[in-house]
Parts: sequence; structure tokens; C-alpha cells
Amino acid sequence: MSSILIQQKTHQLRAQKRQRVFACFVAPGLAVFSYVFCLKLYPPLQQAVHYLFVFSFAWSAAGAYFLKRGLSSGELPEAAGLSTGLEFCRGEIKRQLSYLRRALLWSFGPILLAIGTLVLVLATRFPLFPVGIPFLTVVVVWIAAYVFIRARQQRDLERELDELSEVEKANSI
Amino acid sequence: MESIPTERTSPGELYTAAIEQWGGALERLAAAYEADREKRRDLSQDIHFQLWRSFHHYDGRCSLRTWTYRVAHHVAASHVIREKRVFSALVSLEEIEALPDEGKGQIGVEQNLTLTKLAILIQQLKPLDRQVIVCWLEGIDAESTGEITGLSPGNVAVRVNRIKNILARRFRQGGSYAG
Repeated sequence: MSSILIQQKTHQLRAQKRQRVFACFVAPGLAVFSYVFCLKLYPPLQQAVHYLFVFSFAWSAAGAYFLKRGLSSGELPEAAGLSTGLEFCRGEIKRQLSYLRRALLWSFGPILLAIGTLVLVLATRFPLFPVGIPFLTVVVVWIAAYVFIRARQQRDLERELDELSEVEKANSI
Repeated sequence: MESIPTERTSPGELYTAAIEQWGGALERLAAAYEADREKRRDLSQDIHFQLWRSFHHYDGRCSLRTWTYRVAHHVAASHVIREKRVFSALVSLEEIEALPDEGKGQIGVEQNLTLTKLAILIQQLKPLDRQVIVCWLEGIDAESTGEITGLSPGNVAVRVNRIKNILARRFRQGGSYAG
């Protein structure tokens, strides 16, 4: 393996990791953006709205920390050669499943709260019906699609874990 | 199979020894996991890179061959899980047995058809089954395949037999169409 290729691969892995870390900060960014947008548009916000935005930001910032902590560096564990294919697949699937669950709680949750608060603020200024219907429809469809896709991925991964357990059982027969 | 004294062997030497012996097998392994040529090249580079890294931690607790195959399969399995995103895109042996043969209408040289069918079949399998069939195609015995995959030799034999039966059935069907 040439040293150039090693350097290239190392840079590539670092860049991938940076991208994934950056993605963790989408939710806090969106919370801040919604807050600033509302402040610019309607400065005299209700006290409760301030609290909701601040909570949404704090929640997503904590989420960014927890999501970042569980990110894989893209490198195999040091003792990868000691674990069998079965153990490795199980570990990878569990890691993905845990990430999906954490993403729902720590990323999607605060985003929903920020968007909900934004809609609430808009609703106090504009009549949502019928002007806001297209916007609301897009938001609802997006939420439904996101939840549906994530739930399907979770089910797939759980089924896969069950299959691996069956394989392990068959091993002991 | 072989045992290299690790105390006096540097990671670079271990890597070189592994590539000299199983370099070709690693390329075939990458081909079994990735159909797209560009992605396959990337996967192959990833396998080499991770293998080279892994030898810094090789302590001789398993044979060099087992270590090499395990690391290569792990990298490739990670690639499959990452690329497919959802496992519904892959099939188990039970499902593939029930699938209709997609290559029925293909006309071509019989050997190419056979290899294509084999590649298509392998690329549809879930990572663990791919590991088994790739090891079998490399002529690795059931016991060593078990060490690599974590399956019992009996389980390996059962899976290999099922895959062979699927292949035989498909090639018979394909033969009648070609003929």
C-alpha cells in the first residue's frame, strides 16, 4: 500500500467524519434560524414563544452532542480481525439502530418543536386558512414521510437482528 | 494454515505477506460485494487501507488468513450496510429460493452467463451469506469459513448446499432457455 494512498484514505475518512459532524448541527441551526426569523419579523414575541425556541435550541444542542458521540469514524475497530462476521454484522446493525433512535429523539424532536413554534407565531399574525394551507401541507407530508421512512428502516434493522439471533441459535444445534 | 511470528514481523511485512498470498482473493471479494466498477475500486482501496491499519493490532491469536478475510469481509459488509441503507434491498436464502430467475432471457456465451448469474446472485445476498459463498468459492473449508464468519461448520455446510442448489436450479433453467 503506497504512502500516497494511505494519506488519501486518511484525508477521505476525516472529511467524511467532518461531514457527519456538520450534519449533527442542522437541528440547532434550524432552531436558531427560526428564532431569528421570528424576532426579525415580529419583535414583540410572547414570553412563552421565547422559552419554546430556547428549549428547542438547548434540546437540539444537547442532541448534537449525543449524536456526534455515537458517530463512527469510518475506521474499523482496532481488534476487528478478532471478531467474526456474525459479531461484526450484529455490532454494525445495533450501532445503526441506536443512531436511528437517537436521531429521532435528539434531532427530529427539536426540529419539530422549532417548526411548530414558528407555525404558532405565524398563525398569530396571519390567518392560516386558506393562505397557509400549502405550507402546512408540505410540513405535514414531510413529517409523515420522515417518520414512515425511519420507522421502516428501524423495522428492517430489528428484523435483521432477529435473523442473526436465529443464525446463532442454529449454530448451537 | 500458516503462522507468521508476529513479534518480529512489522505491520508492513504482514500486509505484504497477506497481499502476496490473498491479493487476488481480495479483489474477487470486492467484486462479490460491489457491482459498480468505480465503487468497487473504492471498496478495494478501503479494504487494503483498513487491512494495512489492522495489522498494527495483529497479535497472532488467529491465523493471518483468518485475520485478512475477517477484516476484508468486515469492510465490505460495512460498505453493503451503508450503501443499501435498508436491508429490504437484500434477500435471505429463503427469499432468493423463491425468487424467479431474472436472467432467463439472456443470450450469450454460456460461461459468461454463468459468471453473470453467479455475480448477480451473490450481490443480492445478505452480508453473512456472501461471506459464506465467497469463502466457498475461494476453496476455504467449512471449518475455516466458520472461523471467519462465526458460523458453525455444520451451519456453513448447510448454507453452502442451499446456495449450490439455488445455483444449480437457476443454471438448469438458464440452460433450457439458451438451448
